[in-house]
This record gives sequence, C-alpha cells and structure tokens, in this order.
Amino acid sequence: MADDKQVLIIKNKQMKKTILFLSLIAIAGGAMAQKVTTTSAVVNFDATTPKDALPKAENKTVIASLDKTTGTIMFEAAVNNFAFSNPKIQEHFNGEKWLHSTEFPKFTFTGKIVKLSEVKFNKNGSYTVDVSGNLTVKGLSKPVSTSATIVVKDGAITTSSAFSIVLADYGITGGAIDGGKVAPEPKITVLASF
Amino acid sequence: MENTTNRTGITQWLHLVFGAGLLLSFFLPWVSWDGMLVKGSAIATGDFFRTSVALSGPDNPFPALGFSFYLFWLIPILAALTVIFILLKKKVVPFSFIAGAMSLALITVYFLFSNTLAVDFSIGKNVWSMLKPSVYIHAFCAAGLITTAFPEKNWLPKLIWLLTGPVLAYGGYKMGEKYIMGERFDDTVNIKADYTVNSVDLIREFAANDTAANKKYREKILAVTGTVSQAEIKADSTVNIKLIDTTRHFLNFSLDKKDFLKTKSIKAGDNISLKGVCSGSDYSMILDSTSINFKRATLNKK
Repeated sequence: MADDKQVLIIKNKQMKKTILFLSLIAIAGGAMAQKVTTTSAVVNFDATTPKDALPKAENKTVIASLDKTTGTIMFEAAVNNFAFSNPKIQEHFNGEKWLHSTEFPKFTFTGKIVKLSEVKFNKNGSYTVDVSGNLTVKGLSKPVSTSATIVVKDGAITTSSAFSIVLADYGITGGAIDGGKVAPEPKITVLASF
Repeated sequence: MENTTNRTGITQWLHLVFGAGLLLSFFLPWVSWDGMLVKGSAIATGDFFRTSVALSGPDNPFPALGFSFYLFWLIPILAALTVIFILLKKKVVPFSFIAGAMSLALITVYFLFSNTLAVDFSIGKNVWSMLKPSVYIHAFCAAGLITTAFPEKNWLPKLIWLLTGPVLAYGGYKMGEKYIMGERFDDTVNIKADYTVNSVDLIREFAANDTAANKKYREKILAVTGTVSQAEIKADSTVNIKLIDTTRHFLNFSLDKKDFLKTKSIKAGDNISLKGVCSGSDYSMILDSTSINFKRATLNKK
C-alpha cells in the first residue's frame, strides 16, 4: 500500500514536470510567433544629383524582423550586396573612404513603432506609424525617426518607409559630395514583407 | 648682326637650361597624394598606379595599354639628347618639341588624375594642394624648351606644339573617364562562372573558414547547384531564392527582374543551378545565422 502511494507521488511529480516543460515550450512558441522575419527585404540607396545619376543602388537580400508584441523593428543590410549599375561607382561605394565594407560589413537599424497600440496585426488595414531608433552606418550609430506604413492583409505584413540620412553624420565626406556628384543627404527606402 | 648672334646665344643657353631642368625635374616628386610623393617618372616605372591602389584609389583602367607608359621614358631621353645637341651645336628640333609636348601632356594627366582622386576618392583636399614645386618647374621647362627650340623661328608651330600635349591628354583622359562612367555590369548570364560549386559544400566552406572563403569568392561569379528551400516572388516582379543546409546557414540569391518569366515558377524542393555575383558572408544577429548573399543572380539551369 505504502509502495503504491510512493509510485503515485513520483508519477504526480513527473506529470508536473511534463506540464511545466510543455507550458514553457508553449510560451516560447507564442513569443516566437510574435516575431516575424524575412531575408528578402529591400533597401534602396539614392544619392543621385543633377550632375550624376550613377550613385544609386539596391539591396534585395536584407534581413529584417518585426516583433508584433513589442513593436521592435530590426534591419541588417550587407553593404557589399548593394548592386549598382556602374562597376566604378560600386567600387567607390565599398571603398575605404566611403562605406569601407570590409571593415564595416553592414548597415543596421534597431527601432520601435512609437504607438504600437494603433496597429492591429490581426486585422486587415493600412497604418501609418512613427518609428524611431538607431541607424548604424560605418560603425557610427545615429538616432533616426521616420514615418512608416504598415499594411496588414490576410496575415501578411508589409512595412515600408523612406527617409534621408546625412552622410557627414556617419563620417562620410569628400570631394564628390562637395563637387555635387553625390547627394549629401541620400534617400533611403525600405520595404519588407513578412 | 652682333645683336642677332647674342640673341641666338642667349636662346641656346636658355634652351640648355630648360633641357637640363626638364631632365632633372622628371625624377622629382610632382604630386603628393595623402602624403605619398609621386615622381614624374612614376608613370613610366609603374609607381603611379601602384601608389594610387595603395591609397585605395583606382588602378590602371586599361591594363592592356599599360606598355604605352614606357613611352614617357622618351622625356628624359629626348631632354638629354637636346642638351647634348646644344653642346655639339646641332639643331634640336624636333627633339625639343616632342619632349616638351610629352611633358605637358603628362602634367595634364597628373593634374586630372589627382583631381579625380580628390573628388571621387576623397584622397587629398583638392588638386592644387597636391601639386609640388617640381611639377611647376617641369611645366616651365617644357614650355621653355618648345618656345626656345631652334632653328625654328616661326611661332605658329611652336604654339601648336605647346597646345598639342595638353589638348590630346585632356581629350584622352575625358574620353577614358566617359567610357569608365558609361560602363555597366555585364549580364551575369553571359559571363563564365569563376567557380562551380554545390550549395552545401559552399556553405560548409564558409562555415569552416569564412575569412578565406570571403577572400576566395567575394565579387566572383559562382554557379551554385542545390535544392531550393524558399522561393519568394516580390512585389517588383523579382524572385529571391534561398538554398539552405542543416547548419541554418543559407545562400540568398536576388534574381534579375528580366528573368521573372523563367524564375517565377521555382518552388521549394526544386533542384536548380543559379549563377550570381557572390557578395560574401554576413552573420545575422537577427537570425543567429550566416547568410551568403548573391547579387545580379540569374537562373543557370532548372
């Protein structure tokens, strides 16, 4: 009789452990489901000027994430994967005096949707939100605030945003900017579908 | 009569000085790029582009024509011949004209190239701050050598020789610049792959030593065969293809828009061969994995 009781206690303990383990998995899984990622976000870089239409590039393999619970948005764009039409301009872009891609291989952005409560990720709609965070270029992080559009359609989320950066803020200066061949404040556009 | 003889004598002496000045100043520093001195002779020795590359500036854009730079050895050779001919009381035309015109052409090239370094490569503040006194001396001697050349007394041919070098050099440089800026990347489909690899082997090669793999593959054309793990049609009618192995590292190809009709039907599980320019690997903190990205990619074989 005493043995049966002991077996029952052990079984109860094992069951509690199993329930706790399964609960943890469910919680973790739920949290994971709130964070969506993509490896095919697109970032456009446009530093064209009336004098020069060449400094313009696109990167279509940008990694991005959106946490629907916290509103955290992150982007990682490999500098070397920006495709220019002209080989020389691409070489300049990656060169030591410009983005120095061998030393600083990517641009990163980490920010948050300012009023997350206004976005209903479980309901179709288009939402214009403010996003603020830090953009890191060439190893220097600077705050960036911009508006973004979030479109929710049948569970799919598309985010887009356009903003300008001041190259000098990231230590990028030189004759090409002074001479009007590269825009001092290039336009960056970001598009990510999750 | 005596005045004419005196004038001829002075002209010959001046010519001698200009010839010697041209010869010596050819071997002196003409410009300073970020503190690195570049002599006039550097174009003929090959140091000109070596210095530029060392400063992350451009290399010779037309390496096939590199041999032509040896022609600039004619400057000191002809300058020396001019000096010898004066001492032997022989006529110096056309050697003086050629040496002077080539020198002025070379100075024009140094000026334009230094300006390119300053404007396009942010090397140095501006072209004027790069010029050293020797280049002014060389220009003065070159102009002097042409204007005092004898027995030519007519000013028109001298003026033509004065302008020929700089005009030809300026025209040639600008044409070269226009050609380079008008260049476009060739269509990847028409370029032979530098390497043909299997996706899993490639990922493992990067995982084993990414520094060596990046050095080997970056900016090279790779033909990669593998199984598609994800195909994504984007809003701009382009397709992204992922090839993945079990290590969670993956290859990420952005395919050209013009291939859309051929690539839109690609789906997960397809065995394909893709060709693209490898941009190297990049560790993602978001995914805690490494992506090996490809740009200007195209479908090699489905």
